[in-house]
Parts: sequence; structure tokens; C-alpha cells
Amino acid sequence: MTPSPTDDLPQRNERDETFAAIALPHLSTIARVATALTGDVADTEDLVQETFLRAYRHWHTFQQGSDCKSWLATICRHTFAELRRRENRAVVVDDQELESLAAARLHNTARAKGVDDMFARLDLGPAIAKAIRALEPHYRDVVLLVDVDGFSYEEVATSLDIPVGTVRSRLYRARRHLQESLLNYAIDAGFAAPSYVLPSPPPPPPTSTERRNA
Amino acid sequence: MPSRAQCEAVLRQLWPFLDGMISETEREAILVHFEQCADCESHFDFAKAFLEAVAEAKPYLEVEGEMAEKVRTALEEAGFRAA
Repeated sequence: MTPSPTDDLPQRNERDETFAAIALPHLSTIARVATALTGDVADTEDLVQETFLRAYRHWHTFQQGSDCKSWLATICRHTFAELRRRENRAVVVDDQELESLAAARLHNTARAKGVDDMFARLDLGPAIAKAIRALEPHYRDVVLLVDVDGFSYEEVATSLDIPVGTVRSRLYRARRHLQESLLNYAIDAGFAAPSYVLPSPPPPPPTSTERRNA
Repeated sequence: MPSRAQCEAVLRQLWPFLDGMISETEREAILVHFEQCADCESHFDFAKAFLEAVAEAKPYLEVEGEMAEKVRTALEEAGFRAA
């Protein structure tokens, strides 16, 4: 509903200010939800725009103090469902426990390479962003929504209309790919801790001839 | 000293533990294991540091200004006025 000239102006200003302060900061998050839903740049833009228009028009129904991010994500999902028939993606079923074991093995590799403190020692933000963008879309979307934007498994499952187990599988696999990328990045960039730089080899033991001449 | 099988059972719960997706009983059992096994705990610490680094990368993953501008224009056409 577009406001009419007869709207109470101070009230409308207050509404717009609260919308700008509470809803608009979630634009990036909702863009990621939309990307996960559409998988297409142009469709994402349309969906984000329509989501925020609907949110603005129905702003009076938003309960102040409740979770605006989830509220917007719900609008985004409903809007998408209206606009498009969703493609059913194949369910990837992985052994989730094996992914946990893989994370421990990867830590062993990091330790052996002298970069196991890389997350504490290095600013990996740009490298992480690059590695996330390089993931296959169904992995990228889930890791963005859970690990970057803080949605729960259930919220992502509902938003993307996939089982919770699929969210978990994709998330764990995505984390492994990311960890591998970051590990390679840290090693290639020469970030191994100085203590791991191999010392010069010790001098060889004296030969029997040398010992005799000593 | 925990057995290798015990360590493996704990490590299989690494991501569910860090995501808070296990029961309180399972969580406590893992914490008890850590008291005897610093190596397992270090694997969890490494994964936790990884998750924190990913969350902190959020500023590098914001959408470009063009989409924000489009949304704002559409909102203004719908009557939105805010600084």
C-alpha cells in the first residue's frame, strides 16, 4: 500500500526511520537468502527488491523487538514461492560424522605444516570471502546462511525447502572445502610459523677416518 | 589415556558439538574426554577458531552498492522516505 498524501506525516517518518534502522541493515543477508533460492543474479535482484517492498508495506505487522532477519527471510521465501516454481535439487547425503573426522585430520595437516594457529595469527577475511564465493552454489549458500548470517539449520531447511539433514550435510562438506582452501592459502602464502621452518641440517657425524685423525 | 576408538567417537561429534546440536549428556561426555585428551580438544579449538574466522568475514561478503541502490529506489517509489 503506497502512502497517500493524507497519511500522518510524523507517523510515517517514524515508520520509515524504524524500517531504515531495523530492516534495511539485513539487505546483504536477504540477498544471500534470495541467491540461495533463485541461483540466478537477475532473479535475486528482483526477489530482494520485492521482499523489501512487501516488508515495507507490511511493516506495521512486524513486532518490534522480534527477529527482523527471520521475518524478512520468511517474506523472501513466501515471495519466491509465489513468483517461481522451485526446482527440486538432488539431495546430497554425506556421512556427517566422517566430515567431522575429516576436520580433525585437516587440523593434523595444518599442524604438520606449521599453520595450525592461522586463524589466530592471520586476517583471513578476504581469503575466506574468496573461498566462499568459489564454492559450488549449494554449498556456498548453506555456509553463508548458517556460518555467516547465523540462521539455524531449521531456518535454512525451511527457507530452502530441503531436509535439515541435507542442510547439515552441505554445511559440513562446505566447511571442509573452505578449510582445505584456507590451509592451502596459508601454506602457499608462506605463513608457516617461524618455529616450523626447518633448521639447517646438523653436520654429518665424523667418518671413521676423521675420528681416527682427531 | 583414552583409546583411539574413544577419541574417534568424540571427533565424530566435532561439528554437532560446536553447533550445539548434541544432547547435554553427550556434551558433558566430550568435556570429560577433553580432561584426559588435549589432542582431541585441540582439534575442536581449531575448528572453533575456523568458525569464528568465517563469521568475522561477514564484512567482506556484503552485497555491492548497486543492489542496495535499486532496493532503495523501489522503496522510495513506494513512499519510503528516510535518511
